Amino acid sequence: MKEELDSQLSAMFDNELPAAECELLARRLSRDEELKARWGRYAAIGATIRAEGGVRLNAQVARRVAAVISMEPNVEAEPVRSRSQPLASRWIRPVGGLVMAASVAAAAIMWVRFQSLPQDGPVMAQAGRDGGSQAMIDAATSGPTSYVVPKAIPGRLTVPVMQLANYVVAHSEFSSPVNRRNILSALMTNEAGTAGALPGTEEPSEDVSNDAKSAQ
Amino acid sequence: MSADVSDLSLVRRVQRGDKGAFDALVLKYQHKLVKLVMRYVRNPAEAEDIAQEAFIKAYRALPQFRGDSAFYTWLYRIAINTAKNAVVSRDRSPIEYNIDRNDATEESYDMQGRMKDSETPEGLVLTDEIRTTVNAAIDALPEDLRTAIVLRELEGLSYEEIAAAMDCPVGTVRSRIFRAREAIDRRLRDVFEGGLGRTEELG
Repeated sequence: MKEELDSQLSAMFDNELPAAECELLARRLSRDEELKARWGRYAAIGATIRAEGGVRLNAQVARRVAAVISMEPNVEAEPVRSRSQPLASRWIRPVGGLVMAASVAAAAIMWVRFQSLPQDGPVMAQAGRDGGSQAMIDAATSGPTSYVVPKAIPGRLTVPVMQLANYVVAHSEFSSPVNRRNILSALMTNEAGTAGALPGTEEPSEDVSNDAKSAQ
Repeated sequence: MSADVSDLSLVRRVQRGDKGAFDALVLKYQHKLVKLVMRYVRNPAEAEDIAQEAFIKAYRALPQFRGDSAFYTWLYRIAINTAKNAVVSRDRSPIEYNIDRNDATEESYDMQGRMKDSETPEGLVLTDEIRTTVNAAIDALPEDLRTAIVLRELEGLSYEEIAAAMDCPVGTVRSRIFRAREAIDRRLRDVFEGGLGRTEELG
């Protein structure tokens, strides 16, 4: 039994003892002074074999360190977050991405709506005087034109669907594929419905048609 | 087998408040650390002081040690930084500077080292006695035990590598190294307990 313990101590000294046995022996080693003295002699044997010249084998380092440490408070390991962190990051990243995508989409909607509304005071005033709808059309179409922005629908100031779709696509890296597909499907459905309702007033550009085809 | 498994088990115990486990780590690495520090300072007593400081710094920093690197690698880094800082601090001291750089010959530098050295004559004899005893015990070992312990301690080979080199099972290597240590330790114990009666000084 004693020999087995000493054999384990020798293997532990060489970092060759299985972890489970190390745990048990480390506990005993920290309390058993005789075992600790043997452990210290193993170190002295190694130092001699390595011919560590100049090193005093009866050095008082361990004794002096022990004396200082005995007056120190016990150290306490900082809480380990290594297990919980990957789990958290596994959820935080996609949720964060979703939140960011939603924010971008909301900002895009707000911006597009803002762009679609007439911003010029005189135009609004004139629109009021002229009975409204034609002036509203002019105001809506006087903004910066884009080949993907459909013409405004008279009497109906909605978000230009394809422009919004472009924003969603442009920011697709922040949204999940399922959500992106849902949003695009909704937009395309809305687009198709609008076109069906007012066939003569909205003519999607060629690019838009291609986009719709590719989406299908 | 993880290269650091036993050190890590001792480190974890220290991190749970077991100071005795840190003693074991100091006992294991004190000679290596003093040897390392002696690359920066020539005086053994000063090297021991720096090694002591490094161990204390390591103890205080142990809560931050997560085991990403081997304990001894981490400890050696602390020791090297402590030694470098000590050298810089010593070189900045005007008195030390005058002694070291202006007036000192090699002989006076050694004398300065000796003056700092707290080594007693008994201590010097003991160190020599330990070396003589260990070397004699190694010479007296059977060939297979001597080869195993030398490959382990001198070459730093793992048990698996020694097993390959000696063409025997790993369990046999473990047994040979243990028996070699036991044979040497039996004589070494006599030196401390029977010879000079200075068992305590080993620690």
